[in-house]
Amino acid sequence: MHEMGIAQNILDIAVAAARKEGASKITRINLVAGELRGIEPMQLTFCFAVVARDTIAGNAYLDIETVPVSGYCNECQTNFSIDDYAYVCPQCGSVKIEVTGGTELRLKDIEIE
Amino acid sequence: MKINVMQEVLQANDRIAGENRKIFQKNKNLVLNLMSSPGAGKTSLLEKTAEMLQGRLRLGVIVGDLETTRDADRISKYNIPAIQLTTGNACHLDANMVSYALPHLKLEEIDILVIENVGNLVCPAEFIVGEDYKIMILSVTEGDEKPLKYPMMFHESKLLLINKIDLAQYTNFNMEEAKANAHKINPDMDIIEISCTQGTGLDRWIKWLVEHYKQKLKGSAHA
Repeated sequence: MHEMGIAQNILDIAVAAARKEGASKITRINLVAGELRGIEPMQLTFCFAVVARDTIAGNAYLDIETVPVSGYCNECQTNFSIDDYAYVCPQCGSVKIEVTGGTELRLKDIEIE
Repeated sequence: MKINVMQEVLQANDRIAGENRKIFQKNKNLVLNLMSSPGAGKTSLLEKTAEMLQGRLRLGVIVGDLETTRDADRISKYNIPAIQLTTGNACHLDANMVSYALPHLKLEEIDILVIENVGNLVCPAEFIVGEDYKIMILSVTEGDEKPLKYPMMFHESKLLLINKIDLAQYTNFNMEEAKANAHKINPDMDIIEISCTQGTGLDRWIKWLVEHYKQKLKGSAHA
C-alpha cells in the first residue's frame, strides 16, 4: 500500500501550490504516473480522498494519467515503446537502451478557485 | 484557474535520501537496499554474510520490520551493529525512517551497510533511501515468473540473488526461465544462485560485495 504515502505527498504539494496563489479550494489535480510505478488508480483515488478530507482539496478530483513505458536505443538511436516489459530495441535487438518514459510520478498541475 | 506545478511527488523523500547519501559518502559506506518477499531469506543471508565477512570487512545492518525485533536480534548475535526500525503498518522503508536510524550507528566503523527492507515486492522499489544499489532476493519457492509480475523491483535492482536453490528439485521452478525473465526486465542485472542453508554460491556473493565495496572506495559507484 505505497498509495497512502504517495497520496499524502500529492496533497502536500497541491495544497502548498494552491496556498501560494491564495486559493480557497482545489477542484482538480492532474497527476502523471508511469506504468512502472505500479500505481493502482482506484487505490490511489481512495487514499487521496481519505487524506484530503477536511482540507481545501477535500472535493478535488484526482486525475491520473498513466504513461506507458518507452525507451531509446543507444546503438541505433531509435525511440520505441516497451511492451510487455521487453527491454530490447525492436529495430536492432540491442539491450543498450535507456528507459525514457514510464518511471515518472509527477504532479502536473492543479485547478483552483 | 489552472496552476502549473510540475513537481515530483516523491521529491520530499528524494531530498532526504540525498542527505543520507552525503552522510554515507563521508563515512565511506557501501550502502545496499535489500528487498524481497517475506520469507525469501533476507535475514538468513545477512547472518551468513556477517559470518563470512568477519575479519575482512565490517558489516552494519538496518532492519525494517513491521512489529517485532526478531530479525535484529538474530543479526546482533554475530556482533555486528544492527538497528531495528519498527515500521508499524508501513510496507516499506523510506528515506526519512532510515535517517532516524543513522545517529544510532557508528557509520565510521562500518564498511558495508545493508538496509534490510520490509518483505514486499512492490512498495520498497518506489522509495530511494540513499543507497548505492538496490539488490534483491528471489527464492525458488516463489516461482520463476516473479520478474514479470513485479517488474519495477527487478528493473531497479543491480543484483538478483536466487535463494533456496537446494529446494528447486521439489518445485516446478525453472532456473533458465527465471534468469531469462529477470534479464528481459533488466538486461544488466547480475544474478547469483545461492542456498543460505547449504552455503552454496555464497562465496560468489561475498566476492560481489568486496568488488563493489572497492569500486565505491574508488568513487566510481553510483545509485
